[in-house]
Amino acid sequence: MSRFFERYEPETRQFFDEVIASEGTPRAHYDKMLQRFAQFSIDDIKARREIVNIFFRNQGITFTVYGEDEGVERLFPFDLIPRVVPAHEWATIEKGLIQRITALNEFLNDIYHGQKILKEKIIPAELILGSQHFRREFVGVTPPLGIYIHVTGSDIIRDRQGNYLVLEDNLRTPSGVSYMLQNRQAMKRAFPVLFDKYKIRPIENYPQELLRTLQEIGTASRREPNVVVLTPGIYNSAYFEHSFLARQMGVELTEGKDLVVNNNKVYTRTTRGLEQVDVIYRRVDDAFLDPLVFRPDSKLGVAGLVNAYRKGNVTLANAIGCGVADDKVIYSFVPKIIKYYLGEDPILENVPTWLASDPADLKYILANLDSLVVKAANESGGYGMLIGPESTIEEQEKFAEMIVANPRNYIAQPTISLSRHPSFFNDTELWGCHIDLRPYVLYGKTITIVPGGLTRVALKRGSLVVNSSQGGGSKDTWVVDE
Amino acid sequence: MLSRVAESLFWMSRYFERAENTARFLDVNFNLLLDLNKITHVENPNYWIALILVTSDKDRFNSLYDEYSAHTVTDYLVFNKNNPNSITTCISLARENGRSIIESISSEMWEQVNNLYHYLQSVTPQFVHNNPYGFYKEIKNASHLFQGITDNTFSHNEGWDFIQIAKYLERTDNIARLIDVKYHMLLSEAETQAEIVAGSEDIIQWMAVLKSCSALEAFRKVYLSKIDPDNILRFLILDRTFPRSINFSVCAAEDALWRISGSSRHRYVNNADRLIGKMEAELSYTAIEDIYAKGLHHYLEDLEQRLVKVGEQVHLTYFAYHTPEIEPVDVEEALPFTGVAGGRAYWSQAQQHQQQQQ
Repeated sequence: MSRFFERYEPETRQFFDEVIASEGTPRAHYDKMLQRFAQFSIDDIKARREIVNIFFRNQGITFTVYGEDEGVERLFPFDLIPRVVPAHEWATIEKGLIQRITALNEFLNDIYHGQKILKEKIIPAELILGSQHFRREFVGVTPPLGIYIHVTGSDIIRDRQGNYLVLEDNLRTPSGVSYMLQNRQAMKRAFPVLFDKYKIRPIENYPQELLRTLQEIGTASRREPNVVVLTPGIYNSAYFEHSFLARQMGVELTEGKDLVVNNNKVYTRTTRGLEQVDVIYRRVDDAFLDPLVFRPDSKLGVAGLVNAYRKGNVTLANAIGCGVADDKVIYSFVPKIIKYYLGEDPILENVPTWLASDPADLKYILANLDSLVVKAANESGGYGMLIGPESTIEEQEKFAEMIVANPRNYIAQPTISLSRHPSFFNDTELWGCHIDLRPYVLYGKTITIVPGGLTRVALKRGSLVVNSSQGGGSKDTWVVDE
Repeated sequence: MLSRVAESLFWMSRYFERAENTARFLDVNFNLLLDLNKITHVENPNYWIALILVTSDKDRFNSLYDEYSAHTVTDYLVFNKNNPNSITTCISLARENGRSIIESISSEMWEQVNNLYHYLQSVTPQFVHNNPYGFYKEIKNASHLFQGITDNTFSHNEGWDFIQIAKYLERTDNIARLIDVKYHMLLSEAETQAEIVAGSEDIIQWMAVLKSCSALEAFRKVYLSKIDPDNILRFLILDRTFPRSINFSVCAAEDALWRISGSSRHRYVNNADRLIGKMEAELSYTAIEDIYAKGLHHYLEDLEQRLVKVGEQVHLTYFAYHTPEIEPVDVEEALPFTGVAGGRAYWSQAQQHQQQQQ
């Protein structure tokens, strides 16, 4: 075994380690990687780190941190050891995600049409109708092909036994796919030999697949649908990704002020006049889309866009109102949703979840705040979260108050010991860092998932939070054929 | 091409050119003062006030500083963030425009704007004071490098044409201002001084004007050593081959505008094309005597006003976010020019937007 891995302590009693099985021997699909790393000295690793850093810097792959001084752009932390997912494990993930996304889309269709699932009391109606992401005004509006969630990214973790579990569904504007693509480019440059030893499934076709999906949901019959990306602008933390995807797909990157609605049709303002737009891949939240319908103070949106959408003259990806299905409260019902619409058992299980809105659950949550993870139902990015074992008494008391004041807004889950993956610290030694996986699911005429996804790493020692806004990083993810 | 993208290309280019021109004015003024050292006293604030007159910013300058000196004028024109036309402000705005269309420009162009921006953030007034030549050279070279990079890494299509229009409109405007101010100064000196020094200071000053346009050598090749105001004006205004003459710049702007719209000599497509075509045609058939007949100052002021009109029309035709219904009936009268206090103001992006909303 390599020097790096010799000194690595996997702590397999406490955690599921992705590389080292409990007996202390490496898992078979990591054999070749360990052999290769055995040949590397610290200098070799540092040289490769430099290649990767230069690549990221030249590509301008940075993200902006909120709450610090303006203009703080950082390189996205990247770990040099790739994660390997064997094909048979990937097959389960893929099947599980297709099942889950199909069911969630059915669910949205139902919620915005007959609401059968509420009438049959599978889900308490007040949970849906009281959700801040439920868009009453879109009941009865059918998007093209009946698809609501064209681009999604569910977060998947592994428990102590190595089972893949879904931690949350991101049905609105999941980000990070550009990191997935760029991580792969960086790895190809830094580790060409190692790369060649594995049969790694390619992911480079993601932008083409995305474009195809977006074109498939266009309603223009007379010509190739005109697709644009809508970004909140250069100060958005994911702006790099928006411009990257637009460039890769070869479509226009637009801001709200580039679009105009006339006669319920959406146009881009070009130097040659107005050009009609058929599909908008919007990376702007519902609430900011149209100042006439949602927040009147929004300057990011387009006045009249929602009416054009309702008339069917433009398709939005994702559809308006999807947030109602990735609410953390609704999350706990997804197994029932799958059973209800598809008559199947879920292939990917949920993490056990307690709802503060349920009196019995609420009691349990309040009694166990020191061991549970409490999440606000509508927050994302690791904000508004209490990690019981790492919290102080004061924080717990503050959360207890907030939960009691607004039980609908909180859920709790056991502190899952996320699986760990050896990752470099200072490029000199390996630590076990907690990881998750976000595969990207495209839903057009068919469902497509490029093999892999973004593996996020909690690079702070012992930290469970993998979000980039909270000090997390990422690594390349290889789905390999055996 | 998206209007916003075209507009950002336009202003990125225009602010870059403006920064270069300011660097040129300052650079030449330093040199001039060294030359004049023996003839007259350098402390004469007249030599510094001229630079503020060029930028039509007298009022703003007076609200910020008490005197015209090398120190205050340099600080105002290079560093001051309250001066919308200082080199630092211009490059920040150029970068801001570039950043907002980073997916549309070449990465080399972005790097160049970004590098210059970071260089300016690192420079101190002391550094400029100690090595003005080196500093202004750096700015001029950065601008030339940017233009070279743009030429060689960016497709010569519509976007490139907007970059050219902006560059040449800005340049024309700057040359006109420079000549006008020099003319002003010489005139006022002649009025106040009892006896006019026998021309030698004049000649040095006119040479400075040529130098700030990098035109001295090119001028000498045409007129040999005969440096007199007639020839200098003839060269800077009417020469058709020198890239920092008014006539050349107007022709280049016209070419770019016509390429975008498909206008030609006998058929114009929009008002921007018509106005620039008119300017170009008049310049082609103007002799220096015609300019004198009209009065040089008057002529230049008129030219600047017409450049502003062209800018307005470019904005209306290509950038303004209008829908067909709200298009003004009489485009030429739609946007009366209202400069800031003090007469002729530099045309800025913010101003253009403000007008659009009125």
